[in-house]
Amino acid sequence: MSSATEKLTRLVAAEDRFDYSHAELRETQLEALNERFQERKDRIRLLGHRAREAGIAEIRSRADMVPLLFPHSVYKSYPERFLIEEKWDRLGQWLGAISPYPISPVETSDVADIDEWIERLQAKGHYVSCSSGTTGKSAMLLASDKDMDWSRRDTVSVFAWGSGVRPARDRRMMGLAPTAAVPKNLVIGQAQHDAFGDPAKERFRLPIPPITVGSLTKMVVLRKKIADGTALPGELAEFERTSRERQATLDQAMTAGAEALVKHRDEKLYISGLWNALYQVAKTVRSLGYSAKDFHPDNCIYIGGGLKRAQLPPDYQEFVHQTFNIPANRDFQNYSMQELNSGMPKCQRGNRYHVPPWLVPFILDEDGRVLLPYETGEIEGRAAFYDLSLDGRWGGIITGDKISLDFGPCACGGKGPSVRNNIVRYADLQGDDKIGCAGTVDAYVRGLS
Amino acid sequence: MSAAGTELKPAGAVVSAPFFLRGELVEGQDAVHRSRDLGVTFATPRLALDRVVHPRTEVPPLLNVPLAEIIDFLVETGERIRDPGNLFVQECLDRMAATHVLPRAVLAEQVKGAAAYLDQRLLRTVVEQNFPDPRALDEWVPKQDFTGRKSFVRAFAPRLIHVLPGNSPGVAVKSIAQGAMVKAVNLFKMSSSDPFTTVAVLRTMADIDPDHAIVKSMSAVYWRGGDDAVERALYRPQYFDKIVAWGGGDAISNVVKYLGPGFQLVSFDPKTSISMVGREAVASDEALDLAADLAASDVMVLNQEACVASRFIFVEADRDDADRFCGRLHARIVQKAADSGDARPLEEDLREQIDMLMMLDDEFRVWGKTDGKGLVIRSDEPVDFHPINKTANVVRVDSLDDAAKYVNVATQTVGFYPFERMPDYRELLASGGAQRIVRLGEAGPSTIGNPHDAMYPLHRFVHWMAHEDGVEIQPLA
Repeated sequence: MSSATEKLTRLVAAEDRFDYSHAELRETQLEALNERFQERKDRIRLLGHRAREAGIAEIRSRADMVPLLFPHSVYKSYPERFLIEEKWDRLGQWLGAISPYPISPVETSDVADIDEWIERLQAKGHYVSCSSGTTGKSAMLLASDKDMDWSRRDTVSVFAWGSGVRPARDRRMMGLAPTAAVPKNLVIGQAQHDAFGDPAKERFRLPIPPITVGSLTKMVVLRKKIADGTALPGELAEFERTSRERQATLDQAMTAGAEALVKHRDEKLYISGLWNALYQVAKTVRSLGYSAKDFHPDNCIYIGGGLKRAQLPPDYQEFVHQTFNIPANRDFQNYSMQELNSGMPKCQRGNRYHVPPWLVPFILDEDGRVLLPYETGEIEGRAAFYDLSLDGRWGGIITGDKISLDFGPCACGGKGPSVRNNIVRYADLQGDDKIGCAGTVDAYVRGLS
Repeated sequence: MSAAGTELKPAGAVVSAPFFLRGELVEGQDAVHRSRDLGVTFATPRLALDRVVHPRTEVPPLLNVPLAEIIDFLVETGERIRDPGNLFVQECLDRMAATHVLPRAVLAEQVKGAAAYLDQRLLRTVVEQNFPDPRALDEWVPKQDFTGRKSFVRAFAPRLIHVLPGNSPGVAVKSIAQGAMVKAVNLFKMSSSDPFTTVAVLRTMADIDPDHAIVKSMSAVYWRGGDDAVERALYRPQYFDKIVAWGGGDAISNVVKYLGPGFQLVSFDPKTSISMVGREAVASDEALDLAADLAASDVMVLNQEACVASRFIFVEADRDDADRFCGRLHARIVQKAADSGDARPLEEDLREQIDMLMMLDDEFRVWGKTDGKGLVIRSDEPVDFHPINKTANVVRVDSLDDAAKYVNVATQTVGFYPFERMPDYRELLASGGAQRIVRLGEAGPSTIGNPHDAMYPLHRFVHWMAHEDGVEIQPLA
């Protein structure tokens, strides 16, 4: 890796990494952006295509990078039929168009399902993570060994900084998130355990079968069959039956989780989960007659992901914190996404998410096409980032989020750029009541969510 | 802090969208809404809910106005819409150009085209095709069955809510005419991408005679689709008999939850149209030119914003011949796009997927770029996405029989070439869910009064009322 990029990524473990001002970072970041572009433009085919179309040969300003940032939809741009018809070679070719490294040939003639294909790719150093698109397509994100190493380090330092918890290996790990068993999640889970978990205490995991990419994409496949008219009613009834069973298993697992929490209430806990799941577990714990007073006063909590459109009462965060006796200064929140490889932890005093030096933020217009001019103060628009730490795919990504970014110092004392705690998804904002007579068969597929 | 975001737009950019309530224009800036398409805001008055319903204790105002008079009124409305001096229409076009995806000239042409629906013979034909006996609209038609039982039947004036689409001003004119001909009390819920046309037409009508029963039977308002505060109050059988709704997805699921006894849905479903081109098209250069020309016309109906516009073109040919067809099709789409002055860029999501297909170029081939100037993609199976904004997907098939399996419940129009083979396919297409098979190049026009969305809509709008009049007493022999 070359110099400017190295200078910035080297700060991963630096105590003062959020104290570099925008002015201090600007030139180095620009230099690093150009380094990354020069290294990758002939290796990532889609990037080369974009650069030619935009007529860009060099990054001389942040604005030059904008047409080269990939919208998050790039990682869903594979023809769905490759997945449905299990054309692994073709899916591999698609990955090849967005990968900086040639996809090593894998034997696919005897691959039984997507999970096995992903496993074989992993054996060659290509880690494929999949977002949990429930009805729509799943994003497929490629990463390298280097990225896995980075995730391992970054996740620990992000949690330690944001929660104030030292990695002292003195806690019982209570994992309550029904997360997908994809490489990135597994690496993060293991790294947190290694850093914060007491090696003598067994880690609690939800007693459910692993949620694999194969199980995530099954719904996508069925949806397509319904739309085509090739799914028969028996198959649908069967699918609904397994969905109900899966839900029942999950509900039981959550109850088991609540019971385990109660059982270990005297110990110092590290609780991880998603808001929705943790809220349900907290309710169960309360109904069993336990609350803050029964739990260890030094507990901590790791929340991954947003609300995912779950309907929870307005005070759900307080409810969860209060149930498990989480101290007020341990309110850990992290702004990140599957497409990035680095987190932005929230500070306690300023209530803002802090952008590390190797993550270059851009605020674009709503359409994600134009860099908004920045003068002073906070600037609001569509978030985009270039993650200089990324190795196994292009680091530039345009998100679906509307954020408010301030390049100036935060009330917590951090001098680097920070994001206000009011992030929303554009998709949730649009009160979409546009009606036309033109439409697709998607409107005719009922009840798959 | 200088650019983008609705709240940062100068106040002058808010376009005013007045309401029309049963003959009266209501202006006001009480609520500000957003049109998604161009990110423009528009302001409307407060919605006076009580004024859009007609008490059940009073018969609808149009009930005893003869159909002939209603049609005369509509015909005069049509003439006035076409009159270049009509300020309501001009003002409407100005406002619409600010909120619509289509350019002003295309919109103006559409409004003019829409007015063509208001033709004496055409309207009569529509009524005659929809009703076995159109007299039922004007009077109680006597009936007698074979047992001697007698009755009178009336196509009674209903109370209708029309949830209008925003992609075609023609629908606004058509809905007004249809609502008038069935003598309904009509409430038009306008779309955010066109909160103007319906009001402009109604103002034109009020200008002819502000006290006419037609004018008193019409209201046009806007609220954000799905707004519970409005819909929970209005969508009730005590106020309306039927809701006539266009579209699918959220638009329909919002409506569906209010359906129940006495409050029925007449839905115009969201549709995708396709073309089927037989091997005869690649047999000669002349045929190839002709087929590409006709297919391009169908793709470019309303610059591909309409449901009749073709999106997938199944071509019975080998790859080389299919590619020759694609090249010619592309040239014609580009030409039509340029002529209309429409170069809207493709949506990001669509652009990503097409750019990616270009990378996988052994199986897919792309003519043109993702720049909004016209694009053709050739593949062996239909692409995943919905081709829109001057984008055609040519799907190569060995036989048109293979294409029939891609017809589904969302398929509306199938443009066909050569015309002689249409009878061989129409039954299979109907069975698959399609609603029209047309000659390639003629996706737009249809025989006046023909079914729409697999039904005769006017027949479904009315409240069929029977007056049973007993059995005729046979004189003693």
